[in-house]
Formats: sequence, C-alpha cells, structure tokens
Amino acid sequence: MTESLNITVDRREGLAVIYTEGYINNQGGEEIAKAAYKLLDEGYKILLLNLAGTKIVNSIGISILIEIIEKMIEIEGKLGFCCLTPTIEKTFHIMGLAQYAPIFKDEEAAVSQMRA
Amino acid sequence: MEGTGRSAGTAAQAWDELFALSRDETGERQMMERLLDLWRREHGVEAAGLYLERGGALQQETSAGDGLPDLIEGGFLADGLGSLDFPGGRLLFSPAGAVDLRRAADTVSNDPLTLLLASALKSSRLKQDLKEQQFQVNYRVVELEALYDVGLAVASTLDLDRLSEEILLRAVSLLDARRGALYILEDGRYRLDRTFGGEAAPWFAGADPELRRFLTGGGEAPAHLLPGARYLLSVPIEVESGPRGLIAVGDKESRRGVGPFLTSDRRTLSLFANQAALALENARLHLQALEKERLEREMHLAAEIQHQILPKGAPAVPGYELTGWYRPARQVGGDYYDLFRREDGRVGLVVGDVSGKGMPAALMVSTLHSALRLLLDQIGFGPEMLERLNRHIGESSASNKFITMMLAELNPATGVLHYMNAGHNPAVLLRANGEVEELKAGGVPLGLLPTARFQSRAVTMEPGDLLCIYSDGITEASNPEDEEFGMGGLIDLLRAQRDRPLAELIEAIPRAVGEFSQGLPQGDDQTLVLLRRV
Repeated sequence: MTESLNITVDRREGLAVIYTEGYINNQGGEEIAKAAYKLLDEGYKILLLNLAGTKIVNSIGISILIEIIEKMIEIEGKLGFCCLTPTIEKTFHIMGLAQYAPIFKDEEAAVSQMRA
Repeated sequence: MEGTGRSAGTAAQAWDELFALSRDETGERQMMERLLDLWRREHGVEAAGLYLERGGALQQETSAGDGLPDLIEGGFLADGLGSLDFPGGRLLFSPAGAVDLRRAADTVSNDPLTLLLASALKSSRLKQDLKEQQFQVNYRVVELEALYDVGLAVASTLDLDRLSEEILLRAVSLLDARRGALYILEDGRYRLDRTFGGEAAPWFAGADPELRRFLTGGGEAPAHLLPGARYLLSVPIEVESGPRGLIAVGDKESRRGVGPFLTSDRRTLSLFANQAALALENARLHLQALEKERLEREMHLAAEIQHQILPKGAPAVPGYELTGWYRPARQVGGDYYDLFRREDGRVGLVVGDVSGKGMPAALMVSTLHSALRLLLDQIGFGPEMLERLNRHIGESSASNKFITMMLAELNPATGVLHYMNAGHNPAVLLRANGEVEELKAGGVPLGLLPTARFQSRAVTMEPGDLLCIYSDGITEASNPEDEEFGMGGLIDLLRAQRDRPLAELIEAIPRAVGEFSQGLPQGDDQTLVLLRRV
C-alpha cells in the first residue's frame, strides 16, 4: 500500500479546476499530467490546480509539474495553483514554478484572476 | 533515399524561415522541428525523430512524420529503422520502402542539414543538462530550507503532534521516498508514532541488535520495519543525552520506478534528524512542563477543596474532650475526618480513607462529605444510611475506587456511642481500667459492592474511657528495618500517655510515629480523632 493521489476535475466555463488529494510524487504527478493533457485535448487552455488536499510533494512530482507548465507555455495557455500549504508554496517559489504559474491563496481569487 | 531535388524557391523560403527562428529566443524548438521536417522531406523518408539519451534509454525530443516511438529502452531498434549517432543522442528515421539502412545512413551523414540537426540536438541536450542542474541546485536549496525550517520549529512549534507529522512528511519528500515512519523512544523501546504511505512495525526493542546495525549503516534492514518496501534508509534521532527516536524512509523514487538510497541521502537524512531531534526534544520538554503545571494547579485546587471540607475545630461537648488531627503525605491526601454536632445534641465522628491520591481522591472526599451530611440529616445514623451512602459512592466513582470509613455517633448525655466500621482500621477504645476494645463491626469498604449490608454496634463510654479513631498512615508507618508502628504501638502509647490533655496527646502520637520511622518520609496520610469522657 502506498500513498496514492486522488484527482477530481471540475470543468467550468473556459476553465478547469483539478483538485488533488494525497502525495504528489512520480505516480501522483503522472496522474495530474494525464488529467491536465486530457483537458488540453478537450480545449481547456486555463487550468487551476487546487492543492488543498495535498500536504506533500517530492522532486519527481515537481519535475512533472514543471513539464506541465512548459506544455502550457508552449500552447500559450495558463496554469495556476491555489490553496497550497506554506511548505509547498515555499518549495514552488524556490523551484521556480511560481515564476511561470501564479500561486493564489484561495480558489475564488484564482478563478477570477485567471479568467481576467 | 537520394536527394529529392527541391526547387530553389522552396529551399530559400525554408532557409529564410530557419534564419528568422534562429534569431528568436523562443523559437529554438520550432527551429529544430522545422529543420527535422525539412530533413525528412529532403531525404524522402517517411518519418524522422531526434532522440536524447537519458539513463540508458532514448527519449524522443521531436519527430516529423508518424510511427516513431516516444521512448526506446535498452537500445533495441525496431526493424526497418535507420539510425545516426549524434553527441548525446540519435537521429532515427524510417525510409520509404525497402532500402539498405547502413547505406542510407552513410548517404545522409555528410549532408549539411544533418550536421545542423546534430548541432540543434546538442544544443537541446546542453539546455536540458543545464535545466537539470538548475533543478538540482534549486532542490538543494529546498533541502537547506527544510533543515532551516525544522530548526526554526525548535523555537516556534511546541505542538508535538503537528511537529511529528511535519518531520515525517518533510523527510519523505526530501528523500523522494514513497514511504516513511517516525518512531519515538519510550521506556526502552521505539514506539511507532506515525507512518506515511504504508504500514510499519508497531515497535522495536531499543537494544534490537539488527536495528542498531542498520541505523549505523552496517547491516540489512529489519524485515518488518516497513513491510513491502524494497529499499530502506533509517537514521537515529539523537540529542546530547542519547537517542530519542528514529526516522525510516522507504523506496527512493525516480521517473522510472524506485531504487536504493544514495550515500548522500543518509547524510541529508542525518542532518535533518539532528534538527528534528532538537525540535522534538523542545516540544517534549514543553509538554512535560505544561503537564507539571497542570498537575500543580490541580493539586493546589484539590488541597483547597480538602481544606474547606476538614473541620476548623472540634465542637465543644460538655463532659468530654474531643479533638482531631490530619497530616497528608503529599499536598493532597485521601484521608478525611469530620467532627460535628447534630441538632439533637448528638456528636458525629468520622474518619475515612479514600483509595488513590490527588484530584480524584479529593473529589471523592467531597462527594463523601456532602452525601454523608445529607443522609445523616434525612435518614439518621444507622445501617440504612450507610447502605444508601455505599450505593451513592459506588455510582459516582470509578470501579476500582473505594472508601474505608469509621463512623460513630455519641449521645453525650448517656455516653452511648453507636458506631459502624466500613472496612476501616478498628478504632481503639481504651477503658479507664486499661482494657482495650477494638471497634470493628460494620461491613465492607464503601463503593465496592452495591448490595453490601452494614451493621451498627454500640458501646458505652464511661468516665476516663478514651476512644482513638485513626487511619492506616499511623499504624502502617514503617522504620528502616521495614517494621510497622502497628496497632500495638498505638495502644502502648495511648496507655502510657492516657492522662495527658488530648491537645498534647494528639501531638505526641504523630511525634512518636515520626521517631519510630527514624527520618523515613511519611508514606501515607495520617489522621487521628480522640474522644475522652471526663
């Protein structure tokens, strides 16, 4: 038994929110990438990752998130994060994710600003 | 596979496009894709792909045309694929129709477009390496920050539960582990505090030789440490005075699965454990201090309750001397006594001993005190009153708690003393002629059996008779030879000093008990009630 990541997706008008619950590691990162790329195929170009249910992320998970960010830049889409623990937020800043994907305190603020 | 003879106009257009892309910083990838597509059309192949070598596998960077795999592991190329070695990668292509692949590769290898592709792939490789190195540098900063944060927690986080969770999660994430467990050393064994990602052994003996070897990096991991984990790493959490626990992590992740931990991982985890040790120790000491403070507050409150309950003095009873004395072994004791005059002039005498100490005992004493006074008023002295009191005590206290009690009621006019002894030490009635009667009759301690029955007996106190009700703290006081003061010692003392005023006698008894103990600390509460008919 390992700590798996559960994902749920909320498709909204012009934007999709991916909710994670659990460890963002290799397996968890791949699950997020799979969900994100599926949404891109469906035509969503604005994605919000709500990490309220995630307390832990490792370097493999971060590298996969960076790949998703690169993909979003390539297609001129937008990716944002919200509801991060202080530890994860700090990690994202150090690892440079925050430079290309904005971090929001809560989902409401994220949705309104990413749609703008 | 020979040159397709593209028109000069198309070629010029393609070169213009490539030139424009080369001047644009963000166009590097598109340039590689465009170059590859140009190369594919130039050489008339169905599909072509540029691959970078990564960890023994070939990973596709870009492709033109369909049908080429994204990843080639173990270097095994499918039949019909041509291949050209580039620095740090390869160009793979599938020719149109059956051709000699070796010859085809030779044909394209000296082509200027091929050289450009090799250069583009090399540039991409360098960029990837740089990105990877930057990632590693950043992640080292994350590690340092984690060490720093846990160090900060020494001063800020005193919630042991939150701190333990934070330590385990950070250890697992820092080491790219899939699983982890945190153990705390308690009473000579490592107790599992929490686990992440799977089960772990509930405990280990502190001196477990297999675990000790593993913790110092000198042996195999105990099989049940993280059952099912293939690779394990564990380090002790130690402070100056010794070990406090251990952190174990399992299965180091990479993009291709799990593998063993590196030597540098042990160093990182050890550094982290050192910081964690300080934080945990600090939180533990804080918790201890809080607990001590809580106990002190509780004891102080219990002492106050007890102080309020104990009689402020003995009621004056014409024709009699009456006095009481009480000294707890600790701040709050489990003994209780009461002396009171009832409305009809009768005098009540009570000595009780509640099992346990501290706040629970003080609360039980409080219950006994109020229930006894109420029942005496409602029912009057007698077995029925004691049976109701017994049921009440049983219902309002924990199952293993009980009270022994000697309860007496004196009619001062007649000298008749009714008494009931609920499992308490026999009271001593020293007659004027020197004979001793032990007042034992009554029943079992209160609170043990809800259906217990009690009986009341009566004696008549004649002039010169002395009654002594006491608690076992007097008779069970011991000396360094482990001998008890005993009931015999008490009776001898009463006999020897019976003519002294009660105010002096009640001080002489504990003094004699103290001398008998020869400086040993008082082990139990001591209570005395003395009544003499003058």
